Amino acid sequence: MKRPVNLIVNGPWPYWVGAIVLAFLNVLVFIVNKTPWGVTRNLEAWAEWLGLKLGLPVTNFYTLSDLLSAYGTYTNLGVIFGAFLATLAASQARFRPIRSKKFFYSALIGGFLMGYGARIASGCNVGGMLNGIASGSLTGWVFAIFILLGTWIGSKILLKYLI
Amino acid sequence: MIHNNLSSQRKHSLGFVVFLGLLLILIAQLDFSLSITLGLGLAIGFTLQKSRFCFVSAFRDPILTGMTELSRAVIILLALSIIGFALVEWWFRAQQIFFKPYVFPLGVHTLVGGSLFGIGMVIAGGCVTGVLMRIGEGFAMQMVAFIGLLLGAFTGKQTQYIWKNFFGEWNSVFLPDFLGWFPTLALELALLFFLWKMLKWWQVRQLNK
Repeated sequence: MKRPVNLIVNGPWPYWVGAIVLAFLNVLVFIVNKTPWGVTRNLEAWAEWLGLKLGLPVTNFYTLSDLLSAYGTYTNLGVIFGAFLATLAASQARFRPIRSKKFFYSALIGGFLMGYGARIASGCNVGGMLNGIASGSLTGWVFAIFILLGTWIGSKILLKYLI
Repeated sequence: MIHNNLSSQRKHSLGFVVFLGLLLILIAQLDFSLSITLGLGLAIGFTLQKSRFCFVSAFRDPILTGMTELSRAVIILLALSIIGFALVEWWFRAQQIFFKPYVFPLGVHTLVGGSLFGIGMVIAGGCVTGVLMRIGEGFAMQMVAFIGLLLGAFTGKQTQYIWKNFFGEWNSVFLPDFLGWFPTLALELALLFFLWKMLKWWQVRQLNK
């Protein structure tokens, strides 16, 4: 059962192995796209497209073909499908319902804060922090410090209301 | 666990691999580099899931539990990415290939955005990348978080100018322009090494291991 193939397919891999593989893939994305891997810029584009369809005022007028020819669409879709494949390959794929109602609201509010924060700061953990820092930008480091501050506040909220 | 047999979904995963293969071929007909990008995205998603990689845990666990193993893995990821990006940028310049690194202006929006982002990712149970990964794993909670993300990103985009106009912003700082390439790399890697050591010390202090 502990054949190498099984270890790769069923996991879990040690964190440091994940770090090395992700660094390699991160650099490859930079080589292929000529711009680093980022996640939220593309989500924002989809959100604006949806907003436009719903008749809301938007900043950029994206068409569906703009979105379908954006690199970010494919890295984001890839992450979802890749994670699905990873669970399926280990025969662990299933729907995992929300455990309680408060997690529904915490997910919605948390998602909103995260999306809002990422888009006023021009990046998330990947595009803002990891690849901001890797690009040699001072902003990436400052962003990381304030994510840590936010995490500390978030942990207080988590302990007080959610656990 | 409903499926404790490690091969009970083998047929489905073969089917999904065929589907992904066809999708990659289809997209390659339109644009080869988009197909490669999807392939890289798939590999990233697979790796994130298999190594239980999560930026939220990396930031949160040292505070909540004292565990720093994942935080140190993020530091390895940062260090290798810094070195990799420096080499790739050097090669791009040598080949005169146009490229666009992520060097953005610094401002109050960075500070507010970073803090809100940190709070949000802890209570949503995943950062943006983590949310995408957990959607793939089948978590309904992160599917809800995704809706919140789209709403937040939309609102953020429409109001970013308010922050910038009200507080202004400083010029973006590309560190190698200020310090030179070699000192920047040396300084960043030294800082990461120091952080790595500190996190190791923190874990020993908190958990005795």
